[in-house]
Amino acid sequence: MIIRRLDDSTVNRIAAGEVIERPASVVKELLENAIDANCSRVEIVTAGGGKNLIRVTDDGHGMPRDDLDLCVERHCTSKLDANDITDIRSLGFRGEALPSISSVARVKITTRHRHEDNAWELQVDGGERSDIRPAALSVGTRIEIEDLFFATPARLKFLKSDRSENNAISDVVKRLAMAHPDIRFSLNGPDRSALEYSSVEGSGAYLVRLGQVMGRGFRENAVEIDAVRDDVRLTGFAGLPTFNRGNGLQQFLFVNDRPVRDKMMLGALRGAYADFLARGRHPVVALFIDCPPAEVDVNVHPTKADVRFRDPAHIRGLIVGAIRKALQDAGHRSSTVGGDNTVSALRPDGLRNSSAVNDAGAWSKSINRPLHMPDTNGAGMMSPGYQDRNHGFEEQSVMAPVSIPSADARAGEAPVELSIEALPLGAARAQIHENYIVAQTRDGMIIVDQHAAHERLVYEKLKNAMLEKGIASQILLIPDIIELDEVDADRLAANAKDFEQFGLVLERFGPGAIAVRETPAILGEVNTTALVQDLADELAEWDSSSLVKERLDHVAATMACHGSIRSGRRMRSEEMNALLREMEATPHSGQCNHGRPTYVELKLHDIERLFGRH
Amino acid sequence: MKVTLERANLLKSLNHVHRVVERRNTIPILSNVLVRAEGEGLMFKATDLDIEVLESAPAMIQTAGGTTIPALMLYEIVRKLRDGSEITLETNPDQTSLVLTSGTSTFNLQVLPESDFPDITAGEFSHKFTMKAADLKKLFERAQFAISTEETRYYLNGIYLHTVEVEGKLILRAVATDGHRLAQLDMSAPSGSEGMPGIIVPRKAVSEIQKLIEDPEADIEIEVSDTKIRLNIGTVVLTSKLIDGTFPDYQRVIPQGNDKELRVDCTEFAQAVDRVSTVSSDRGRAVKLAVSEGLLVLSVSSPDSGSAVEELPVSYNAEPLEIGFNAKYLLDITNQLKSDDVIFKLAEGQAPAVIEDSADETALYVLMPMRV
Repeated sequence: MIIRRLDDSTVNRIAAGEVIERPASVVKELLENAIDANCSRVEIVTAGGGKNLIRVTDDGHGMPRDDLDLCVERHCTSKLDANDITDIRSLGFRGEALPSISSVARVKITTRHRHEDNAWELQVDGGERSDIRPAALSVGTRIEIEDLFFATPARLKFLKSDRSENNAISDVVKRLAMAHPDIRFSLNGPDRSALEYSSVEGSGAYLVRLGQVMGRGFRENAVEIDAVRDDVRLTGFAGLPTFNRGNGLQQFLFVNDRPVRDKMMLGALRGAYADFLARGRHPVVALFIDCPPAEVDVNVHPTKADVRFRDPAHIRGLIVGAIRKALQDAGHRSSTVGGDNTVSALRPDGLRNSSAVNDAGAWSKSINRPLHMPDTNGAGMMSPGYQDRNHGFEEQSVMAPVSIPSADARAGEAPVELSIEALPLGAARAQIHENYIVAQTRDGMIIVDQHAAHERLVYEKLKNAMLEKGIASQILLIPDIIELDEVDADRLAANAKDFEQFGLVLERFGPGAIAVRETPAILGEVNTTALVQDLADELAEWDSSSLVKERLDHVAATMACHGSIRSGRRMRSEEMNALLREMEATPHSGQCNHGRPTYVELKLHDIERLFGRH
Repeated sequence: MKVTLERANLLKSLNHVHRVVERRNTIPILSNVLVRAEGEGLMFKATDLDIEVLESAPAMIQTAGGTTIPALMLYEIVRKLRDGSEITLETNPDQTSLVLTSGTSTFNLQVLPESDFPDITAGEFSHKFTMKAADLKKLFERAQFAISTEETRYYLNGIYLHTVEVEGKLILRAVATDGHRLAQLDMSAPSGSEGMPGIIVPRKAVSEIQKLIEDPEADIEIEVSDTKIRLNIGTVVLTSKLIDGTFPDYQRVIPQGNDKELRVDCTEFAQAVDRVSTVSSDRGRAVKLAVSEGLLVLSVSSPDSGSAVEELPVSYNAEPLEIGFNAKYLLDITNQLKSDDVIFKLAEGQAPAVIEDSADETALYVLMPMRV
């Protein structure tokens, strides 16, 4: 075989393999173009899962005739100034999208620049381009793509069902829509459900748009994040720990308004929520990082989902710190989902039999929600724990008569001081079923799960004690030598300082081994091999590891469970009030160690709604 | 098989063998005890595939033969039968069940054939020696607290028994460690043990052997090979597999240059440690020892509950030193000491301490400090 230069159409098809993976990637590229063109609205139409038709119409600045001629050539772009690849201010910059797409599909580009009298149209079929013809269009660009992948039948065969391609397209649109609340997005098609996000202006725009995309539940259960460190700014919204999901799909990360899925950032999220969620539960967040373009390298992968930060530790610290602080400030704000579920469960009409999710849907309509309720607002929204709880309430409301024999009415006799009622968790009124404290606040009522609440309080105390005292380590008689591959050993050695804080002292022992010299005393005799291997795995996956801390916290959690009051214990009103006051004073007391709420709040207006007073 | 014997004899033998039987088994016959009527007595055998215990009891044999009977059930039945009664065991002709009669009680038990019972004792033993029960018991009893329970380090899950030459004398030495502390017990090597391989006796065998020793003055005959150990203790023969692993080079970690010697009354010290550690609630509770000339200050502090300090007069003549230990580990060691005074040989705050019995130089303990 001799070496020869490939012809242009082959080169483009090879490049298309990287950039254009599936119809959703086409939609992503075209939307990014539309956004980079400063549009105020963009309309997407797809058919056949994007295979038959993708049409993206925007009202951006459009292209003049000469640009149209160039835009389907490789490495031609208007988005890079002076060839400076470190200063990227637009979503795209590679000049690859249009030529890639047009090499594998039939593309018709119609565009009218502001300064042109009429629009121009160009047709490219699998790399074969037509002449540029005049056409009719108002200012903006319309790109119509038909028969995607007709030129690469192999790729066509590997596509998933129309339905899942449609979902992938929706996902792309949602992600970009989140980052650009000022743009109106609409997604339609004969074989898909429509999405429509109206444009939102003003200071709260991002939250409104996030609510549009992620459902009302998120808006009400998210705390705002706004932190600046040096020239990096982190904004966005972090879901309360009680508002968790079974997978990480509801974690939306943006760097300079570019949707990314970055390992380091996801790892930082895990770190920030480590203490509040059980393993296997994931927080719901939308975070936006704004930093100077030079601080971040987006030119890592053609699809630009990966980014590299110049100083990842800095970004990580910012994310963890800001989320922790925001959650702490949110204090004992428990998930309103709990309260809503309660109300839904208590409602005397037929709603009770429908699922919790439908309840939420029906609910939101009645209070003038934005038109669209995305279908992904599914069952994952509530942890199984919630739903159990929901049923629990249901049973109580159905079965228990008002004067249940086990109700401890003593608290009701206590004189209620108005000053206590003004506190966030109010004044304890009664204990029911020997496990739930009912308290009255100025504008509603609180139901506290006494065991979960006290367990969290004890846990926080133990943890603080542990940190204050420093974690004692047991020095080993014979250092444990653990053989690892060299990369793992490097990573562990690089993080040795972090582990030392938690009583695990390890150091490099030759090229492919780690010597463990000290282990946390509280863990007793440790299986160091397994621990170190797990640490190495976690470092490989997340660039950071909270495993040692988790193990220690687990000990604290077990101790907390044994050292806290059980359900079934009768409490006097003084004790109940003391518990409520302590919950107010303790950060993170709104959820138990597993991310379930320790209390739910029913607002007076919710209660009044139950009786049809509003 | 048909045999009659006294309840007391049957109970004593079953008491010895039933402990080896695991309560839950995937191989049904391992739940059974093998009984064999032959010559003058009834032979019992039980195993968990690692340890085998064999014992004989006097019995009147009408028909020789053997079978296997569910061990724990048989033990429970015999235990509940009247004291002083006679018990008859008879297998039915097709060998599928056994009838146990005693007075007016009759039990019909399902049995499994004798031929299926595993035998782990095959193989030759290379060394054979005899030692006093009390000596063996001392080696095991005082070292076993330091045996590791961490299963991944299986080679530490037992007592390392081997011979070494110290100052021209041959010593039989038992060593156990869990990586945090180490116990080393010596005795002069009994004749016949010269050149024996270093063996690791598993934890379960260590505790079974101690339970089987009833008469401290009795002689125990010990046979060892690379893979097994067999002990003749009175009427019982215990055979155990050994841990197939390499015990770490423990001598390397026993510090030789610890020149700061602290001598303190053992009971006083243990009680003081116990007292001050009351204020700490967690498992890794650390006791700080601050030693200066003639004075030891023990202290524990716990941020959530308070602190405790106790002073003890000691004999100490080196420069002052602070060192922290796990309270439980200190107590474990002082429990093993039999004399009035305990001697700590220290070097510095982060270095291992050697702990010795003032009146018994055959015992030596090493304890790693904690970093607090």
